[in-house]
Amino acid sequence: MRMIMMDVMQWYLLLCAVVCIIRLILGPTTADRLVALNILSGIVLAFLVLSGVRHGRSIYLDVALVYDIFGFLGFLAIARFLKDKMHGEGE
Amino acid sequence: MRAERIWGAIRFVITAVSMFAVWLLFTASFGTFSLVAGAIGSLLIAALTYDVFIAKHQANLRFFLPNPLHLLIYFFVMFFFIYQSSVVMLAAVITGRVNPRIVHFRTRVRSDVARMVLANSITLTPGTITLDLNDDHLTVHWLFCDTHHMKAAGETVKGRLEPYVQRIWL
Amino acid sequence: MIMIREILALIAFSAAVIFGTAGLAGLFRFSDPYTRLQAGSLCGTTAVLSIFIGALLLSPTAAVSARIVIITLFFLISSPTGSHIVARFAWNIGVPHHDPKQKRTPVSRKKDTPS
Repeated sequence: MRMIMMDVMQWYLLLCAVVCIIRLILGPTTADRLVALNILSGIVLAFLVLSGVRHGRSIYLDVALVYDIFGFLGFLAIARFLKDKMHGEGE
Repeated sequence: MRAERIWGAIRFVITAVSMFAVWLLFTASFGTFSLVAGAIGSLLIAALTYDVFIAKHQANLRFFLPNPLHLLIYFFVMFFFIYQSSVVMLAAVITGRVNPRIVHFRTRVRSDVARMVLANSITLTPGTITLDLNDDHLTVHWLFCDTHHMKAAGETVKGRLEPYVQRIWL
Repeated sequence: MIMIREILALIAFSAAVIFGTAGLAGLFRFSDPYTRLQAGSLCGTTAVLSIFIGALLLSPTAAVSARIVIITLFFLISSPTGSHIVARFAWNIGVPHHDPKQKRTPVSRKKDTPS
Protein backbone atom coordinates (compact mmCIF):
# COMPACT_ATOMS: atom_id res chain seq x y z
CA MET A 1 0.00 0.00 0.00
CA ARG A 2 2.60 2.55 1.05
CA MET A 3 4.94 1.57 -1.78
CA ILE A 4 2.15 2.00 -4.32
CA MET A 5 1.28 5.41 -2.92
CA MET A 6 4.86 6.62 -3.07
CA ASP A 7 5.33 5.24 -6.59
CA VAL A 8 2.19 7.04 -7.77
CA MET A 9 3.38 10.27 -6.16
CA GLN A 10 6.75 9.96 -7.85
CA TRP A 11 5.10 9.55 -11.25
CA TYR A 12 2.89 12.53 -10.49
CA LEU A 13 5.91 14.65 -9.59
CA LEU A 14 7.58 13.60 -12.82
CA LEU A 15 4.49 14.79 -14.71
CA CYS A 16 4.59 18.10 -12.81
CA ALA A 17 8.25 18.53 -13.74
CA VAL A 18 7.43 17.97 -17.41
CA VAL A 19 4.66 20.59 -17.28
CA CYS A 20 7.01 23.01 -15.56
CA ILE A 21 9.63 22.48 -18.25
CA ILE A 22 6.99 23.18 -20.91
CA ARG A 23 6.33 26.50 -19.19
CA LEU A 24 10.09 27.04 -19.01
CA ILE A 25 10.39 26.57 -22.77
CA LEU A 26 7.24 28.56 -23.67
CA GLY A 27 7.70 31.44 -21.22
CA PRO A 28 7.80 34.66 -23.23
CA THR A 29 9.89 36.67 -20.77
CA THR A 30 12.84 35.91 -18.55
CA ALA A 31 10.72 36.41 -15.44
CA ASP A 32 8.35 33.66 -16.59
CA ARG A 33 11.25 31.28 -17.01
CA LEU A 34 12.57 32.08 -13.55
CA VAL A 35 9.10 31.44 -12.09
CA ALA A 36 9.00 28.01 -13.70
CA LEU A 37 12.53 27.27 -12.47
CA ASN A 38 11.55 28.26 -8.94
CA ILE A 39 8.67 25.81 -8.91
CA LEU A 40 10.81 23.12 -10.54
CA SER A 41 13.30 23.33 -7.68
CA GLY A 42 10.51 22.66 -5.18
CA ILE A 43 9.34 19.65 -7.20
CA VAL A 44 12.86 18.23 -7.34
CA LEU A 45 13.17 18.63 -3.57
CA ALA A 46 9.91 16.74 -2.98
CA PHE A 47 11.07 14.03 -5.39
CA LEU A 48 14.34 13.57 -3.50
CA VAL A 49 12.54 13.28 -0.16
CA LEU A 50 10.00 10.79 -1.53
CA SER A 51 12.76 8.73 -3.10
CA GLY A 52 14.69 8.63 0.16
CA VAL A 53 11.65 7.50 2.13
CA ARG A 54 10.70 4.98 -0.55
CA HIS A 55 14.07 3.22 -0.37
CA GLY A 56 14.58 3.86 3.34
CA ARG A 57 17.94 5.52 2.79
CA SER A 58 18.72 8.65 4.75
CA ILE A 59 21.62 9.56 2.45
CA TYR A 60 19.14 10.85 -0.16
CA LEU A 61 17.67 13.09 2.51
CA ASP A 62 21.09 14.60 3.18
CA VAL A 63 21.27 15.48 -0.50
CA ALA A 64 17.79 17.00 -0.25
CA LEU A 65 18.80 19.05 2.80
CA VAL A 66 21.83 20.56 1.07
CA TYR A 67 19.79 21.20 -2.08
CA ASP A 68 17.13 22.89 0.03
CA ILE A 69 19.53 25.23 1.81
CA PHE A 70 21.79 26.18 -1.09
CA GLY A 71 19.22 25.98 -3.88
CA PHE A 72 18.10 29.57 -3.70
CA LEU A 73 21.68 30.85 -3.86
CA GLY A 74 21.58 29.69 -7.47
CA PHE A 75 18.50 31.86 -8.07
CA LEU A 76 20.24 34.79 -6.47
CA ALA A 77 23.21 34.37 -8.81
CA ILE A 78 21.02 33.96 -11.92
CA ALA A 79 18.81 36.93 -11.03
CA ARG A 80 21.77 39.19 -10.25
CA PHE A 81 23.59 38.19 -13.43
CA LEU A 82 20.54 38.72 -15.65
CA LYS A 83 19.77 42.04 -14.00
CA ASP A 84 23.26 43.35 -14.63
CA LYS A 85 23.14 42.11 -18.20
CA MET A 86 19.75 43.72 -18.92
CA HIS A 87 20.76 47.02 -17.40
CA GLY A 88 23.94 46.94 -19.45
CA GLU A 89 21.88 46.49 -22.60
CA GLY A 90 19.34 49.15 -21.63
CA GLU A 91 21.94 51.88 -21.23
CA MET B 1 34.41 52.21 24.36
CA ARG B 2 34.16 49.58 27.03
CA ALA B 3 30.49 48.93 26.43
CA GLU B 4 31.22 48.55 22.75
CA ARG B 5 33.77 45.83 23.41
CA ILE B 6 31.43 43.94 25.73
CA TRP B 7 28.71 44.15 23.08
CA GLY B 8 31.17 42.84 20.50
CA ALA B 9 32.07 39.89 22.73
CA ILE B 10 28.40 39.06 23.27
CA ARG B 11 27.76 39.13 19.52
CA PHE B 12 30.81 36.93 18.95
CA VAL B 13 29.63 34.34 21.47
CA ILE B 14 26.10 34.24 20.05
CA THR B 15 27.42 33.82 16.51
CA ALA B 16 29.75 31.00 17.55
CA VAL B 17 27.01 29.20 19.49
CA SER B 18 24.55 29.37 16.61
CA MET B 19 27.22 28.14 14.15
CA PHE B 20 27.95 25.21 16.44
CA ALA B 21 24.25 24.40 16.76
CA VAL B 22 23.91 24.26 12.98
CA TRP B 23 27.03 22.08 12.81
CA LEU B 24 25.50 19.63 15.30
CA LEU B 25 22.26 19.65 13.34
CA PHE B 26 24.02 18.75 10.08
CA THR B 27 26.54 16.20 11.28
CA ALA B 28 24.25 14.61 13.89
CA SER B 29 27.20 12.86 15.54
CA PHE B 30 28.83 13.29 18.94
CA GLY B 31 32.28 11.84 18.26
CA THR B 32 35.29 13.65 19.71
CA PHE B 33 36.78 14.59 16.36
CA SER B 34 33.50 15.93 15.05
CA LEU B 35 32.87 18.04 18.16
CA VAL B 36 36.39 19.52 18.26
CA ALA B 37 36.48 20.26 14.54
CA GLY B 38 33.05 21.90 14.71
CA ALA B 39 34.05 24.02 17.71
CA ILE B 40 37.28 25.26 16.11
CA GLY B 41 35.55 25.93 12.80
CA SER B 42 32.67 27.81 14.34
CA LEU B 43 35.02 29.94 16.47
CA LEU B 44 37.12 30.91 13.45
CA ILE B 45 34.11 31.66 11.25
CA ALA B 46 32.47 33.62 14.06
CA ALA B 47 35.63 35.73 14.45
CA LEU B 48 35.40 36.55 10.74
CA THR B 49 31.69 37.15 10.38
CA TYR B 50 30.15 38.24 13.70
CA ASP B 51 29.97 41.81 12.48
CA VAL B 52 27.87 40.74 9.50
CA PHE B 53 25.76 38.12 11.26
CA ILE B 54 24.54 40.55 13.92
CA ALA B 55 24.92 44.15 12.86
CA LYS B 56 26.18 46.69 15.35
CA HIS B 57 22.99 48.76 15.45
CA GLN B 58 20.96 45.79 16.75
CA ALA B 59 21.23 47.19 20.25
CA ASN B 60 19.12 44.72 22.18
CA LEU B 61 19.27 41.00 22.82
CA ARG B 62 15.55 40.69 22.11
CA PHE B 63 16.22 41.94 18.57
CA PHE B 64 17.59 38.59 17.45
CA LEU B 65 16.91 36.08 20.24
CA PRO B 66 13.42 34.69 19.70
CA ASN B 67 10.92 33.90 22.39
CA PRO B 68 10.84 30.08 22.03
CA LEU B 69 7.22 29.52 23.11
CA HIS B 70 5.85 32.14 20.76
CA LEU B 71 8.13 30.88 18.00
CA LEU B 72 6.56 27.43 18.33
CA ILE B 73 3.05 28.90 18.35
CA TYR B 74 3.91 30.98 15.29
CA PHE B 75 5.14 27.87 13.48
CA PHE B 76 1.79 26.11 13.84
CA VAL B 77 -0.21 29.27 13.13
CA MET B 78 1.83 29.67 9.95
CA PHE B 79 0.98 26.10 8.92
CA PHE B 80 -2.70 26.91 9.29
CA PHE B 81 -2.34 30.18 7.37
CA ILE B 82 -0.49 28.47 4.50
CA TYR B 83 -3.26 25.91 4.01
CA GLN B 84 -6.00 28.51 4.33
CA SER B 85 -4.38 30.78 1.78
CA SER B 86 -3.83 27.87 -0.58
CA VAL B 87 -7.56 27.17 -0.54
CA VAL B 88 -8.20 30.84 -1.37
CA MET B 89 -5.67 30.60 -4.20
CA LEU B 90 -7.32 27.41 -5.44
CA ALA B 91 -10.64 29.24 -5.74
CA ALA B 92 -8.91 32.11 -7.54
CA VAL B 93 -7.32 29.75 -10.05
CA ILE B 94 -10.66 28.08 -10.75
CA THR B 95 -12.76 31.24 -11.06
CA GLY B 96 -10.02 33.44 -12.51
CA ARG B 97 -11.27 36.51 -10.61
CA VAL B 98 -8.18 38.44 -9.54
CA ASN B 99 -7.48 42.11 -9.03
CA PRO B 100 -3.72 42.53 -8.79
CA ARG B 101 -2.21 45.76 -7.54
CA ILE B 102 1.03 46.91 -5.98
CA VAL B 103 0.71 48.46 -2.52
CA HIS B 104 3.25 50.13 -0.24
CA PHE B 105 3.08 50.28 3.53
CA ARG B 106 5.23 50.49 6.62
CA THR B 107 5.70 47.97 9.37
CA ARG B 108 6.03 48.50 13.09
CA VAL B 109 8.50 45.71 13.89
CA ARG B 110 12.00 47.03 14.47
CA SER B 111 14.62 44.31 14.22
CA ASP B 112 16.05 43.05 10.95
CA VAL B 113 15.28 39.39 11.66
CA ALA B 114 11.66 40.16 12.48
CA ARG B 115 11.30 42.21 9.29
CA MET B 116 12.73 39.33 7.28
CA VAL B 117 10.34 36.87 8.90
CA LEU B 118 7.41 39.23 8.34
CA ALA B 119 8.32 39.62 4.66
CA ASN B 120 8.59 35.86 4.21
CA SER B 121 5.26 35.32 5.97
CA ILE B 122 3.63 37.91 3.75
CA THR B 123 4.99 36.03 0.75
CA LEU B 124 3.40 32.83 2.02
CA THR B 125 -0.07 34.16 2.89
CA PRO B 126 -2.90 34.67 0.46
CA GLY B 127 -2.05 36.35 -2.77
CA THR B 128 0.73 38.58 -1.57
CA ILE B 129 4.39 38.64 -2.53
CA THR B 130 6.95 40.97 -1.03
CA LEU B 131 8.70 42.73 -3.87
CA ASP B 132 11.00 44.97 -1.88
CA LEU B 133 11.97 45.61 1.72
CA ASN B 134 13.67 48.90 2.56
CA ASP B 135 14.22 49.44 6.29
CA ASP B 136 10.57 49.44 7.38
CA HIS B 137 8.98 50.09 4.01
CA LEU B 138 7.44 47.07 2.26
CA THR B 139 6.42 46.90 -1.38
CA VAL B 140 3.87 44.15 -1.85
CA HIS B 141 2.14 42.71 -4.90
CA TRP B 142 -1.39 41.90 -3.79
CA LEU B 143 -3.63 39.66 -5.84
CA PHE B 144 -7.02 40.31 -4.23
CA CYS B 145 -6.89 44.06 -3.84
CA ASP B 146 -10.14 45.70 -2.69
CA THR B 147 -9.05 49.16 -1.58
CA HIS B 148 -7.11 52.17 -2.84
CA HIS B 149 -6.18 53.41 0.59
CA MET B 150 -2.61 52.34 1.31
CA LYS B 151 -2.93 52.24 5.08
CA ALA B 152 -6.07 50.08 4.97
CA ALA B 153 -4.36 47.82 2.45
CA GLY B 154 -1.39 47.45 4.79
CA GLU B 155 -3.66 46.59 7.71
CA THR B 156 -5.41 43.92 5.64
CA VAL B 157 -2.19 42.36 4.40
CA LYS B 158 -0.08 42.34 7.53
CA GLY B 159 -2.74 42.79 10.22
CA ARG B 160 -3.02 39.13 11.18
CA LEU B 161 0.70 38.42 11.09
CA GLU B 162 2.32 41.42 12.73
CA PRO B 163 1.15 40.81 16.35
CA TYR B 164 2.56 37.28 16.26
CA VAL B 165 5.93 38.49 14.97
CA GLN B 166 6.00 41.30 17.53
CA ARG B 167 5.62 38.77 20.30
CA ILE B 168 8.60 36.72 19.09
CA TRP B 169 11.10 39.48 18.41
CA LEU B 170 10.93 43.05 19.56
CA MET C 1 -1.64 2.13 13.95
CA ILE C 2 0.11 1.55 10.64
CA MET C 3 -3.27 1.62 8.94
CA ILE C 4 -4.10 5.00 10.46
CA ARG C 5 -0.75 6.41 9.37
CA GLU C 6 -1.28 5.18 5.83
CA ILE C 7 -4.74 6.71 5.63
CA LEU C 8 -3.42 10.06 6.92
CA ALA C 9 -0.59 9.90 4.40
CA LEU C 10 -3.11 9.19 1.66
CA ILE C 11 -5.04 12.32 2.66
CA ALA C 12 -1.82 14.37 2.64
CA PHE C 13 -0.84 13.05 -0.78
CA SER C 14 -4.30 13.80 -2.15
CA ALA C 15 -4.00 17.37 -0.88
CA ALA C 16 -0.60 17.57 -2.58
CA VAL C 17 -2.10 16.41 -5.88
CA ILE C 18 -4.96 18.93 -5.66
CA PHE C 19 -2.79 21.90 -4.76
CA GLY C 20 -0.02 20.94 -7.17
CA THR C 21 -2.44 20.66 -10.06
CA ALA C 22 -3.93 24.04 -9.14
CA GLY C 23 -0.49 25.63 -9.05
CA LEU C 24 0.45 24.26 -12.44
CA ALA C 25 -2.92 25.33 -13.86
CA GLY C 26 -2.26 28.79 -12.46
CA LEU C 27 1.06 28.85 -14.29
CA PHE C 28 -0.76 28.56 -17.60
CA ARG C 29 -3.98 30.40 -16.77
CA PHE C 30 -2.74 33.78 -15.61
CA SER C 31 -1.20 36.28 -17.93
CA ASP C 32 1.67 38.13 -16.24
CA PRO C 33 4.75 36.91 -14.37
CA TYR C 34 3.69 38.25 -10.96
CA THR C 35 0.34 36.46 -10.93
CA ARG C 36 1.94 33.27 -12.22
CA LEU C 37 4.48 33.50 -9.45
CA GLN C 38 1.70 33.99 -6.90
CA ALA C 39 -0.21 30.90 -7.98
CA GLY C 40 2.82 28.75 -8.64
CA SER C 41 4.83 29.53 -5.56
CA LEU C 42 1.99 29.40 -3.03
CA CYS C 43 0.32 26.25 -4.36
CA GLY C 44 3.69 24.65 -5.06
CA THR C 45 4.84 25.33 -1.53
CA THR C 46 1.68 23.84 -0.11
CA ALA C 47 1.96 20.76 -2.33
CA VAL C 48 5.57 20.15 -1.35
CA LEU C 49 4.70 20.70 2.31
CA SER C 50 1.88 18.14 2.04
CA ILE C 51 4.28 15.65 0.46
CA PHE C 52 6.68 16.22 3.34
CA ILE C 53 3.91 15.54 5.86
CA GLY C 54 2.95 12.35 4.03
CA ALA C 55 6.57 11.21 3.86
CA LEU C 56 6.94 11.98 7.57
CA LEU C 57 3.98 9.74 8.31
CA LEU C 58 5.41 6.92 6.18
CA SER C 59 9.04 7.21 7.26
CA PRO C 60 10.54 3.86 8.32
CA THR C 61 13.14 4.99 10.87
CA ALA C 62 13.65 7.83 13.32
CA ALA C 63 16.72 9.14 11.47
CA VAL C 64 14.68 9.61 8.30
CA SER C 65 11.85 11.42 10.10
CA ALA C 66 14.26 13.75 11.95
CA ARG C 67 15.83 14.72 8.63
CA ILE C 68 12.40 15.32 7.11
CA VAL C 69 11.51 17.67 9.98
CA ILE C 70 14.73 19.64 9.46
CA ILE C 71 14.13 19.78 5.71
CA THR C 72 10.59 21.08 6.33
CA LEU C 73 11.87 23.83 8.63
CA PHE C 74 14.46 24.98 6.13
CA PHE C 75 11.97 24.73 3.27
CA LEU C 76 9.65 27.14 5.09
CA ILE C 77 12.53 29.64 5.06
CA SER C 78 14.00 28.98 1.63
CA SER C 79 10.82 28.75 -0.44
CA PRO C 80 9.47 32.29 0.17
CA THR C 81 13.02 33.60 -0.14
CA GLY C 82 13.29 32.05 -3.59
CA SER C 83 9.98 33.49 -4.75
CA HIS C 84 10.94 36.86 -3.27
CA ILE C 85 14.18 36.79 -5.28
CA VAL C 86 12.26 36.07 -8.49
CA ALA C 87 9.63 38.75 -7.75
CA ARG C 88 12.30 41.30 -6.88
CA PHE C 89 14.11 40.49 -10.12
CA ALA C 90 10.92 41.07 -12.12
CA TRP C 91 10.22 44.31 -10.21
CA ASN C 92 13.75 45.61 -10.64
CA ILE C 93 13.92 45.06 -14.38
CA GLY C 94 10.50 46.73 -14.61
CA VAL C 95 8.09 44.03 -15.75
CA PRO C 96 4.69 45.77 -15.93
CA HIS C 97 1.97 44.23 -13.82
CA HIS C 98 -1.43 43.39 -15.23
CA ASP C 99 -4.25 45.56 -13.95
CA PRO C 100 -7.85 44.79 -14.98
CA LYS C 101 -9.17 48.25 -14.04
CA GLN C 102 -6.68 50.15 -16.15
CA LYS C 103 -7.42 49.71 -19.82
CA ARG C 104 -4.30 51.55 -20.95
CA THR C 105 -0.96 49.82 -20.76
CA PRO C 106 0.37 50.03 -17.23
CA VAL C 107 3.36 52.29 -16.71
CA SER C 108 6.39 50.48 -15.47
CA ARG C 109 8.44 51.92 -12.66
CA LYS C 110 11.61 52.46 -14.62
CA LYS C 111 11.51 54.51 -17.79
CA ASP C 112 14.59 53.06 -19.44
CA THR C 113 13.62 49.42 -19.30
CA PRO C 114 14.41 47.18 -22.24
CA SER C 115 11.25 45.73 -23.70
